[in-house]
Amino acid sequence: MLTDFGILLLFILAGLGLLGLILGIGRLLRPDRPNPEKNATYESGEEPVGNANVQFNVRFYVVALLFVLFEIELIFLFPWAVVFGNEDLIQQTDGRWGWFALAEMTVFVGMLILGLAYAWVKGYLDWVRPKPAIPATESPVPAALYEAINKKYESKTVNKT
Amino acid sequence: MYPIVLLSVLGIVVLYLGFLKSKSILLPATLLFLVVAMIGNFFEWNDGELLYFKGMFAVNKLTLTFNAIVLFSAFMIVAMTQGFQDNEEAQPAEYFALMLFSLVGAFMMIGFENLIMLFLGVEILSVAMYVLTGSDKRNLRSNEAALKYFLMGAFATGIMLFGIALLYGASGSFSLNGIESFVTLNQRSPSYLLYAGLLLVLIGMLFKVSAAPFHFWTPDVYDGAPSIFTAFMATIVKTAGFAALFRLLSHSFSGIYDFWWPTLSILTVLTLLVGNIIAVYQDSFKRMLAYSSISHAGYLLIALTSMTKQTENAILFYSMAYSFATICAFGVLIPVAREKSLEGRPNESYEAFNGLAKNNPLLAFVLTVSMLSLAGIPLTAGFWGKFFVFSSAVERELVWMIIVAVLMSAVGIYYYFRVIMAAYMKEGDTATIRIAPFYKIVLIAATLLTILFGLAPGLFEAAM
Amino acid sequence: MSLFLLVLIPLLPLIGFVINGIGFRHIPKGAVGVIGSLAALGSFAASVAVLLAFKEAGSQPQIVSLFDWITVGELSIPFSFQHDQLSLLMLMIITGVGSLIHIYSIGYMKHDEGFGKFFAFLNLFLFFMLLLVMGSNYVIMFIGWEGVGLCSYLLIGFWNKNTSYNNAARKAFIMNRIGDLGFLLGIFTIIATFGSVEYTEVFRQATGLPIGDPVLITITLLLFVGAMGKSAQIPLYTWLPDAMAGPTPVSALIHAATMVTAGIYMVIRSNVLYTLAPETLEVVAIVGAATAIFAASIGLLQNDIKKVLAYSTVSQLGYMFLGLGVMAYSASMFHVITHAFFKALLFLGAGSVIHAMSDEQDIRKMGGLRKKLPITFITFFIATWAISGLPPFSGFFSKDEILAHAFEHNKLLWAVGLVGSAMTSFYMFRLLFLTFFGTFRGTHEQEHHLHESPASMTIPLMVLAVFSALGGVIGIPEALGGSHQLAEFMSPLFDNSRQANPEAFMPISLSHSEEYMLMGVSVLVALLSGIAAYVMYISKASVPAPESETRQGVQRAVYHKYYVDELYDAVFVKPMRTLSNLLASFGEFFIDLFVDGTGRLVKALANLGRQTQTGSTGYYIFAMVVGIMVILFWNLLIK
Repeated sequence: MLTDFGILLLFILAGLGLLGLILGIGRLLRPDRPNPEKNATYESGEEPVGNANVQFNVRFYVVALLFVLFEIELIFLFPWAVVFGNEDLIQQTDGRWGWFALAEMTVFVGMLILGLAYAWVKGYLDWVRPKPAIPATESPVPAALYEAINKKYESKTVNKT
Repeated sequence: MYPIVLLSVLGIVVLYLGFLKSKSILLPATLLFLVVAMIGNFFEWNDGELLYFKGMFAVNKLTLTFNAIVLFSAFMIVAMTQGFQDNEEAQPAEYFALMLFSLVGAFMMIGFENLIMLFLGVEILSVAMYVLTGSDKRNLRSNEAALKYFLMGAFATGIMLFGIALLYGASGSFSLNGIESFVTLNQRSPSYLLYAGLLLVLIGMLFKVSAAPFHFWTPDVYDGAPSIFTAFMATIVKTAGFAALFRLLSHSFSGIYDFWWPTLSILTVLTLLVGNIIAVYQDSFKRMLAYSSISHAGYLLIALTSMTKQTENAILFYSMAYSFATICAFGVLIPVAREKSLEGRPNESYEAFNGLAKNNPLLAFVLTVSMLSLAGIPLTAGFWGKFFVFSSAVERELVWMIIVAVLMSAVGIYYYFRVIMAAYMKEGDTATIRIAPFYKIVLIAATLLTILFGLAPGLFEAAM
Repeated sequence: MSLFLLVLIPLLPLIGFVINGIGFRHIPKGAVGVIGSLAALGSFAASVAVLLAFKEAGSQPQIVSLFDWITVGELSIPFSFQHDQLSLLMLMIITGVGSLIHIYSIGYMKHDEGFGKFFAFLNLFLFFMLLLVMGSNYVIMFIGWEGVGLCSYLLIGFWNKNTSYNNAARKAFIMNRIGDLGFLLGIFTIIATFGSVEYTEVFRQATGLPIGDPVLITITLLLFVGAMGKSAQIPLYTWLPDAMAGPTPVSALIHAATMVTAGIYMVIRSNVLYTLAPETLEVVAIVGAATAIFAASIGLLQNDIKKVLAYSTVSQLGYMFLGLGVMAYSASMFHVITHAFFKALLFLGAGSVIHAMSDEQDIRKMGGLRKKLPITFITFFIATWAISGLPPFSGFFSKDEILAHAFEHNKLLWAVGLVGSAMTSFYMFRLLFLTFFGTFRGTHEQEHHLHESPASMTIPLMVLAVFSALGGVIGIPEALGGSHQLAEFMSPLFDNSRQANPEAFMPISLSHSEEYMLMGVSVLVALLSGIAAYVMYISKASVPAPESETRQGVQRAVYHKYYVDELYDAVFVKPMRTLSNLLASFGEFFIDLFVDGTGRLVKALANLGRQTQTGSTGYYIFAMVVGIMVILFWNLLIK
């Protein structure tokens, strides 16, 4: 019989093997045309090296928040399924245990759905494109005239410096 | 237990009521829900000691009374949110829902039997408060306050969580009973893990109730937040925080009183000094109230430090008296500041109150009673609050602490009376301010209660 | 049911106060008066109902606890009412006479601007007075005691446009403060000694102490200081004559019938303590007798109609304390009752006269009013007859009973009382004759305006007149074939005293013939001085000299009230002023150094502290981290 640590060892070995297998198959199948973009470390579409003090689009946060929410839901669902899917208990209670567990989770998921629905209705899920307002000034002087003047003085300033 | 369930569900209902075209139903609905929660609160009044969630949450007379104080304060504050509907930018449904949710957090802080529950409660309350602080979106100071509050709050939360982890490491339990039995078993041999954990949890909680030297956020945040939410913070967060501290210290850690009381007593004195002395220099009434809230945290800490049989009653009575008086103060500040607004911003300085009494005798009277109560002048509830706190300290023979406290309340009289003087003695012209009838009733009720409990403090105990 | 009624008694005036106090600008005048009077009348009705229920239930004293009022450590002070014979009697006086005076005020104060305010204050006064007599412990009594003092202060200074009225109000307040200090110290001593302030508990424990115990003497003396202030006894009496600055109904209600008798109520309530402290009783009797004769002698030469009555009140209060001092508790209570009737009547009658005379109070300018004011005259006459102690009206019985006890106790006290009684009769008849007989001495305009007062004023006069005349029937002594119902009714109150000091409660050892003799003497003396007044002011038609005329010797001293005010001014007020001036000039420096210095120090500290609030989050968190580090290091490494 294997001990628990034995199982762990097998798990690690199998994992490594699987990884090697997949990468190996990939190596064989894919075309190989590297460029600097492709060789850079993957960082969710952001520049991996450089100043971290850059402005992110604020909409990322809303999406990230919603993502975290549902990720947590998922994390919570796995142990729930394992703990409450107890066959003995379900049989002992004539099936009521299962219904109880299901109802509990329905309340939890239902609340999350309500939240999602609220965010949806409020329009927080829409990725609104920025509409930069270009300032429009009306001037009696035609634009061509400005162009001409700019051109005229451009050479002079360059000369001076 | 009922209020938690009720308010969680009803908060969502309020959120969805916000989709209706007419916003005017929100306020009455929220008030109604608070009343429903209050009724629910008293359902378990005669049931004695109850435990829920496998012993993670307790319901007893003490927690129910704290709940009632919190609910009552919330009711009065919500009733004062008259200006919400007029503001185009505002999202009243979300504010109301957040207030209800934050109350759920407060209940959890009051009734926790397990440190996880305490943590959850603190977070539910705090996150809602971060948002509400920044709810005045176009006001830079409100935004700044929200961010500051959030950053520092997150920091304090981290400290507290670390403390909880250490406590678990030491005692192997999250529950108050488990920790208590560990403490009683190991009273002789000190466990530094436990001590460090206790200190860190205390620091996290002391941050929430704005005790020195963790008070720095208070003036900036109180000042920046919209007044109505400042009132919410000053009363409900404080009451819930002290309820949690009291339950923690009286339940689990009474066995190592000798360890924690010196630290707490030094912080108490520091808090009293900081709150009262800096308040003297303020020119803004609202900022003064922020420092006053720090100083009252100091008085409440005296009761906590002495931890005698009277402490429970003292903290209950004090937080009630303090809450009512503070709500009155903000209730007067809001319309006056709006009336006197400068460049579209409410004027919250002392000058705004000049000559208030001439045309607004009711507001001036309410203000006077609340200031007297905060200063602890006899015949107001605030006096008995201080009296009970001091008498519990006398029982522990912490005389030096009382001396500091009495000196500091003398200082307090200076800045509390300044606004009374402004209202009655100074020249100034304030037109008669129109106040909605319900708002007026709330103000009068809170004032009468302050006087009533000032005349007959025993009524409070009789009601319990 | 009984509890409800009991709570209703003080609650109704409070409700009246709240309604009139909040809404006096909006409620029409007629409604104000009706609300105020209804509150008083309702309270009276409830009192009567409680009294009847009390008698039906076998006259058992009852304590009704409403709630725990203040709990501090071991000491618990409940908010509870006690109704027994004493409090019920006081209730009847307060609400009964109070109602009549409320009704009277509707007419009297009709033209006053502050009509609503006046009724609000009157109702508030009733509330506190009821609290005073209904409470079951000394602390509630003290709250009522302070409350009535406050109302008295407010009502004396009711016409606060006049500075001297304000000064009078202040004087009353300060003198009462001195007394209150004594009372308060007394309460503290009681708490220290007995660990309770509940009457029943205190008295139960007190009966176990020996007679003349020093602690008891201290307590009773301190309480008596309180009584001296409130009931205007030497040396704290000078505020009461000045208190006549208030509206006349106030003088009738507060400064004659109810508030000033609070001191007597307190002593009777604490009779156990006093019985066990005979030394204090001696002091009480001497102070009472001295006040009785002293104030009466001042009254002889006063020319202000209300001042005469004020000194008469002081003197009558002296009689009551004399009665208490010789342990004639029920006789004193008897006198409180009859005095409430006839003195309220006298004041209201005086009010009616003043009303008719367009606010003239000097009796030298009156005269011959009996034809113009017939009802006022008749009722005033009855009251004069009663206060002079002439049979068969009420004053005769009560005063005679006190004097009889005094005679048995100490002949000297009796003689003093007798002389005082003669003076009483003289100045009252002098007042009566100068006001209602002879010819009118005022201006033509005043004569033109003379009129009988409206019904709302005369009806209370008539009711009070009936009681002044017949009030004596509740206490007809055995010697005159009565059974003295009042004494019998009150006797359970003194059970504890009797048990503690049985000798002092022996029945009067005087034989009937001796009693007849005493009665005869006092009636004779009163009649003689009445006749003397008749001879002087009717037969000779002499009128007291005007202010400007110089008076000689004793007359001068008496006219100027023995210069007591001047004496107090010279002995207390002036030195106080000098001292305070001295301190002030010395204090310029002193205050600068300490008070201002402290203020500056606090401000400087505040400024320093303010600097810590930089507004930078990084700095804040740094400060917090330093704080956390210090706490952890200190606790875990150093300690």
